[in-house]
Amino acid sequence: MAGVSVLHSRAQLQAIAQVRWEIFLHSLRTTRGTLELFSRIMITAIMTAGGLGGAFGLGAGAWYFVAQGEPELLAALLWPVFMFWQFFPVMATAFNETLDTSNLLRFPLNYQSYVLVRLVYGALDPAALLGGLWLTGISIGVGIANPRLFLWTVAVLAIFALFNLLLTQMVFAWVERWLAQRRTREIFAVLFFLFIISFQLIGPLMSRFRPHSSSSMMRVGGEVNIIQRMLPPGLAAHSIASMANSRWPASLLSLAFIGGYGAVILRVLSIRLGAQYRGENLSEVSKDSLAKTGEEQVRAGWDIRGVSAPIMAVFEKEFHYLSRSGPMLLTFVTPIIMLVVFGFGQGRPGGGLLQRMPDLGFPIGSAYTLLLLTNLVYNNFGADGGGIQFFFVSPARFRQIILGKNLMHVAVLVLEMAVVWIGVALLFRRPSFGMTVATIAGMLFATPLNLSIGNLMSLYSPKRIESGTFGRQRASQLTVLISFGVQIVVVALGATGFTLARYYGDLWIATGLFVSLAAVSIAIYTMILGRVDALAQRRREVLEAELCKA
Amino acid sequence: MNVPAIQTEGLTRRFGDLIAVEDVNLEVASGQFFGFLGPNGAGKSTTIKMLTGLLAPTSGRMQILGIDFEGEPVEVKRQIGVVPEGMALFGRLTGAEYLNFVGRMYGLDRETAAKRAGELLEFMQLADQPRKLVTDYSHGMQKKLALAAAVIHGPKILFLDEPFEGVDAIAAGTLKAMLQRMIARGATIFLTSHVLEIVERLCSHVAIIHKGRLVAQGSLEELRAGVEAQAASGNGDQIAPGKKLTLEEIFLHTVGGVRSAEQELSWLG
Repeated sequence: MAGVSVLHSRAQLQAIAQVRWEIFLHSLRTTRGTLELFSRIMITAIMTAGGLGGAFGLGAGAWYFVAQGEPELLAALLWPVFMFWQFFPVMATAFNETLDTSNLLRFPLNYQSYVLVRLVYGALDPAALLGGLWLTGISIGVGIANPRLFLWTVAVLAIFALFNLLLTQMVFAWVERWLAQRRTREIFAVLFFLFIISFQLIGPLMSRFRPHSSSSMMRVGGEVNIIQRMLPPGLAAHSIASMANSRWPASLLSLAFIGGYGAVILRVLSIRLGAQYRGENLSEVSKDSLAKTGEEQVRAGWDIRGVSAPIMAVFEKEFHYLSRSGPMLLTFVTPIIMLVVFGFGQGRPGGGLLQRMPDLGFPIGSAYTLLLLTNLVYNNFGADGGGIQFFFVSPARFRQIILGKNLMHVAVLVLEMAVVWIGVALLFRRPSFGMTVATIAGMLFATPLNLSIGNLMSLYSPKRIESGTFGRQRASQLTVLISFGVQIVVVALGATGFTLARYYGDLWIATGLFVSLAAVSIAIYTMILGRVDALAQRRREVLEAELCKA
Repeated sequence: MNVPAIQTEGLTRRFGDLIAVEDVNLEVASGQFFGFLGPNGAGKSTTIKMLTGLLAPTSGRMQILGIDFEGEPVEVKRQIGVVPEGMALFGRLTGAEYLNFVGRMYGLDRETAAKRAGELLEFMQLADQPRKLVTDYSHGMQKKLALAAAVIHGPKILFLDEPFEGVDAIAAGTLKAMLQRMIARGATIFLTSHVLEIVERLCSHVAIIHKGRLVAQGSLEELRAGVEAQAASGNGDQIAPGKKLTLEEIFLHTVGGVRSAEQELSWLG
């Protein structure tokens, strides 16, 4: 019977692969599908270039460390790979495309196959592919420096890669669970802000307890080294280094510890996957709120003088959607995380990037905020799903609908910029008046431009997304490529403005340039907004077909 | 002279080589409870989608209450309420928020929208779980909510695509009571349904579409008389003398759908 079961699972996995292949082939029947493929190839090429460059650099580093007889220093390469692998998926959800495996649950798929499918798809996300490529580079670097170590390095790094894969899946699965319900989300938010506040204490603490002599520095470095060696990146480096010194038991023990970490993570992950496999349906509403509460008066909608009812209704609806989308809320706090990451050097000589150039904190944070908003802006109707039909049967004009949505985007952006400004002021230095004005002028240019292109892409290349689940959001590859192009243009113009201002020592030059560009981008926005009604009517079948599908 | 509630001339829709709806000339008088029937894939949903602005016709004209749809789509949409096939719901709103939203999109002021939303939730028996999201509603609850949304602005014509599909008897009773009340107040209702018993009980007039073409249109009595006349002239299946045809029989005679299960699926239990 066991043989039958194995055959059965294999047949199911083959069927899933075949279905994916057929879906891919069918997608090529339309122009949009072909454009999607082209975009995918472009994005893959860009990623591959980055991946190969990284692999080459890391391989060279690995070669150097091993050739110099310092294989323990491989930890310095493995830690960045680990950090990238774990943080990139959260920072760039738009680039992630993962299968919503909950659809598979209706088939007689056994639990092992379900877990396997989840892991296989996890292994195909960009962070995993790049991480895998970089680890391959490190293996080759080690192999060239010391061929005897090659196979062992491959084995150690393969287990390290598996550990990373499991950890990413586990983090995603649990964060999705925590963010799905209001109460746990509130707890999560409190913990997050405590975490952020704790970072503010790092600088003063480091200044207070900074080692004053090189021997103290060595002592602190040694303590940090002991801790990092107990964690998977350090353990992997230690395992390879021990093997280089022919210390088999130590090498095997380190490897076993990585395996142990992996096993613990797999166990924690399996709790979530088990719940999903049993058909768990994450709901926004806690159980006690489902109890009968009797008649409750319906609250009147929001109102802002001068704003028409349909625009206000869409604005309010968007607010409800955003406030109930845990993943989106998490996305919105990532600029603060980034500021904290850039502020790591605080209190140390040399410091981090923003420690050296604190004036750039506000424009960089604001630009990053806008980048995160592209998820929303370039796929305006993605979360509406079947609700798109209502927009077509209602007497509201698409201009009003899109304006309502854009107003919410701008409101989020303004709020985020205010938070970033306060964050920069607290973590680094209060942004100067000139820099604040220049950044606002820059955003006045960048925002309407992104909204204009985003509104067009929302109509041309819609993609249904499930805003309540994490890591299952599937951005259109065409949209990703175009938004990437727009960001390059915006960043290039922004950088030009600030470089000119720095060269001439006058920030108002940048402000002037951005205000001029803002006039152009606002004109483009107005022109496109005036045409969205006709465009939406032309694209209604595509929109309905994509967004109403189950 | 009374203006028809719905009137189409030569309504046609092609999808590439496939003609989904061909030269449909419909006329629905104001105040009628009109059933639009047809086998699967006959063109019912395509027709109703065109009549509600969800799909553009390839050719032909549509007038709603005498207003040309193509010329004044916004004005037409103000006059109609729609429950489309997909129900057009926003899953991550509560029922009250959704109705409030819909009311305001139709231009109701905020107080009126909130008041009507509350009344509709009560009427549809959806008021007892105010914080539940629409996505967590059962199918029947979603249908009731979609119908509530379709009527919140007091439309003169209501288009319903399969309103009773997946709805239990209790919920269906609530829906029927509401629809009959609307008819009594002078509204026009245009519905598609596969449940012929319901159509027979509710609708005064019926049209049948088959392979994209309108094959019958009129009151139930007119359709019955037509089938009987056809049988008497020897062009259709024979009908026992004195027997009053049900809508199901009229439908099967009209589309020629009587079929015996000649090929058995031998592997099926």
